[in-house]
This record gives sequence, structure tokens and C-alpha cells, in this order.
Amino acid sequence: MSGCALNEKEFFSCCQLLLQQSEHLRDGWSWEAVQGSEEGYLRKTVLRSVVADCCDQQERTQPVVATRFHSDGITGDGGDEDDAVCVLSEGSSHVLQYEYHILYSCSYSAPVLYFRAFTLEGRSLMLEDVWSSVHPNFRHCLQNSPLTAITQQEHPLLGQPFFMLHPCRTEEFMRPVLQEAQEQPRPVNYVLLWLSVVGPVVGLDVPLKYCTQLHPSSPSSSEPD
Amino acid sequence: MADDKDVLRDVWFGRIPTCFTLNQDEVTEREAEAYYLLLPRVSYLTLVTDKVKKHFLKVMRAEDVEEMWFEYEGTPLKWHYPIGVLFDLHASNSVLPWSITVHFKNFPDQDLLHCPSSSVIEAHFMSSIKEADALKHKSQVVNDMQKKDHKQLWMGLQNDKFDQFWAMNRKLMEYPTEEGGFRYIPFRIYQAMSDRPFIQKLFRPVSPEGNAYTLGDLLKEMYPAAITNDAHL
Repeated sequence: MSGCALNEKEFFSCCQLLLQQSEHLRDGWSWEAVQGSEEGYLRKTVLRSVVADCCDQQERTQPVVATRFHSDGITGDGGDEDDAVCVLSEGSSHVLQYEYHILYSCSYSAPVLYFRAFTLEGRSLMLEDVWSSVHPNFRHCLQNSPLTAITQQEHPLLGQPFFMLHPCRTEEFMRPVLQEAQEQPRPVNYVLLWLSVVGPVVGLDVPLKYCTQLHPSSPSSSEPD
Repeated sequence: MADDKDVLRDVWFGRIPTCFTLNQDEVTEREAEAYYLLLPRVSYLTLVTDKVKKHFLKVMRAEDVEEMWFEYEGTPLKWHYPIGVLFDLHASNSVLPWSITVHFKNFPDQDLLHCPSSSVIEAHFMSSIKEADALKHKSQVVNDMQKKDHKQLWMGLQNDKFDQFWAMNRKLMEYPTEEGGFRYIPFRIYQAMSDRPFIQKLFRPVSPEGNAYTLGDLLKEMYPAAITNDAHL
């Protein structure tokens, strides 16, 4: 690993490692290859149940429908009806399908997270709905900085609209952790580390078991189990 | 290259004569006439078509109007591509004016990005500028620029002001030959007949021996199918 940047070969190896662990943990990641080359991306689909909820945010110019992710069906406190462009109406309960892709950006030498979401009827979620899946703690600071914001982008391999977390700051937040790891030294999976930071921001859980599997008995070994 | 002002001006002031026609299935109160416009090649559809929208809104009721989008011969046009790229990609072999159909309903959200405001276009444009500089100068030039410089770049494009734009863009086009020029050349090869919208890979401007690469060298490596025996290169 050269500094805190990731080259494409390293990205591929990190992804393969993550895949092995995912299979072991039944975490659902798959590798989508491009035309039988080494080029490709990681993909995972998740179903989650949400209850649409409204909240007023004075700082924002556009009101947002907040949702809570529940398995036990607790509804949040009702707010005023807002006029944001949302697919999810207030108080309604939905099962949503989220699809996450991890691609490599050669411009930023970093992985990039793309995602999209649908209702079970096949309607795509709008950006306003997606913001509601971002934890309020993250939402405020993400929205104030356009370059870390979630924006709608064209998927570079599929050509379809996805949401994306901008990669230009990745090196910045990866550096402290990578430097520390290099000093110790201990093996790091760049992609896994990066995912554990950005994933939760958009509702993608990275189980702790990935990390406990990463520390093999022998320090020079890079193979899990 | 950035010293050849004539070339820069020709690129900037390139125009495509376009005829906008309202989709037949739109609900109108009376018949809509076609609207003609010279589109700047370097700009974006949603940035330069306010007049088109106003024109067609005159014959429609507000409740029948949703997000405007454009289509050419059945293909939704991606507003986030520069207009010149869209024309060259889809219509370069057809007679002028370019005939574009305007829609106000059934937005194809599996094909097109939404464009709710000009700040979305600005964000997209600046994102491209920053990505290009990441390739050229490891983002050093764009990060050293102030926010007002970025704004000037955008305003230059938005208001079609060549001098205003290039006052800032020349910094981004600095090619320090002593340091090997750009680190990588920002390029995209767009293709119409593929899921994959474009080819974008790392490409150095200079060979390890120090010889400058040509466009032909780039195509040979990135898109060899473009180089045929009778290629017009």
C-alpha cells in the first residue's frame, strides 16, 4: 500500500479478502466482474423495514422525511406534513430494498460507495428519502459540505442513477488509521476499514466479526483462518 | 496548448442549432410551436433551456407539468453530459437542426439523474473539475484556489463568459514540463452502444523514455476498436 492511497490491484485483493469473510459470515456480498476482467465491484442487497416519519429541520431549505429502522415496529413522534418530494408518506410502513456497490475510483485512488433504494413496488427512492436513512448526527455535517454529501450520480459501469458518497475526502480520514496500523504493524484490509467508516452513515452495517476474523494467529499471514 | 487562444475560443463558442418540439402526449391547451435555440457545446442542457421551458409552459396547465426532460429518437438525454458530447454521441450523422423532444411527465428515473435546481448542475460541474485536477495535479491546484475562484469558474460557464472562465481555468491547465506535465490526462471515451457509459483509466502524458504520447497512442491503448485501417485520425 503506497501511503494512504489504494491502487486497483490492492483494491481487488482487499475485495476478494472481504468476500471470503463475507461468505463465512453469510453477510451477502458478491463480486460483479466486468467482462471477465479483474475489473468489477462488490455488491450487496439488503431489505429493511422503515416507518416513515416527519421532522422539521429549520436549517434546511427542504424539509426531510425522517425514517427509523425497526424490527419491532416502534413509530416515531409525528410531525407536521411536509412538502418534500418523497416517495414515503408520513406514518406509512415500508419494506425497502437497498442495493450497495463498492467501486474503485482511479482518479482518487480510493473505493467509492454507490447505492440505490426501491420500495417493493419498484419505485425508486428520491434523494430526500435517502437523507432520512442517514443518522441525524451524520446528516448535519454531511449536508453542509457538498463534497462529502450524498449526491445522485451516474454509475460508471452500469450507466444508471445511483446515490454516491463523494470519495475525495477518503484519503484524509483513512490516513490516521492507516499510519497507526503501519506503525504497529498490523495487517489492514483498506476496503473493510473504509467500509466500516462510511457504511453506517448510509445504513450499511459492517458486523464486528469481520474484524475479529482479520487478526490471524501468525502476523505475517494474510489469509483468514 | 493552453496558449493557443484561437483553439480555445473555437471550442468555447461552438454551437449546435437545435429545434425543441413538445412531446405529442403532453396535455396542452393549444398547439405548441417548436422552439429554436443555438446550444453551446460546452454547457449543459438544463442550464441553457429556461427559455424552452417558459415557451412550452405557456400552452400547459401547471398541474400537468413535472420535471422537464429531453429525448432524442427515443433515447433520454443525460443532462449531466456536455451538450456537445450528447450531440456527437447520438446525432452527429443527422441533418441540422438537431431535433429534441421535450417532456414534462413520466420522468425516466432509471436513466436520468434528477436536476431540481442549477445548484445541482454547479455541484456536478465542480465535481468534474475537481476530479480532473485530482488526475492532473493531485488536486493541489484546485484545492489552492479560493471558493470565489471556483465560483468564478462556474459563473463563467453559466453566463457564457470566455475570459472570466479562462482567467481561472488557465491555472487548472498549467502544465509544468519540468515536472512531467500533468500526472495523468483526464479523459473519457463515451460510447453509445454499451451499458458502460464511458471508458476512463489512468494515462500518462509522457512515455517512460520521455516522449509525448499522442491521441492515437491513447486510443490504441484504451479503445483499439476505434483504430481501423481506414481510420480518420
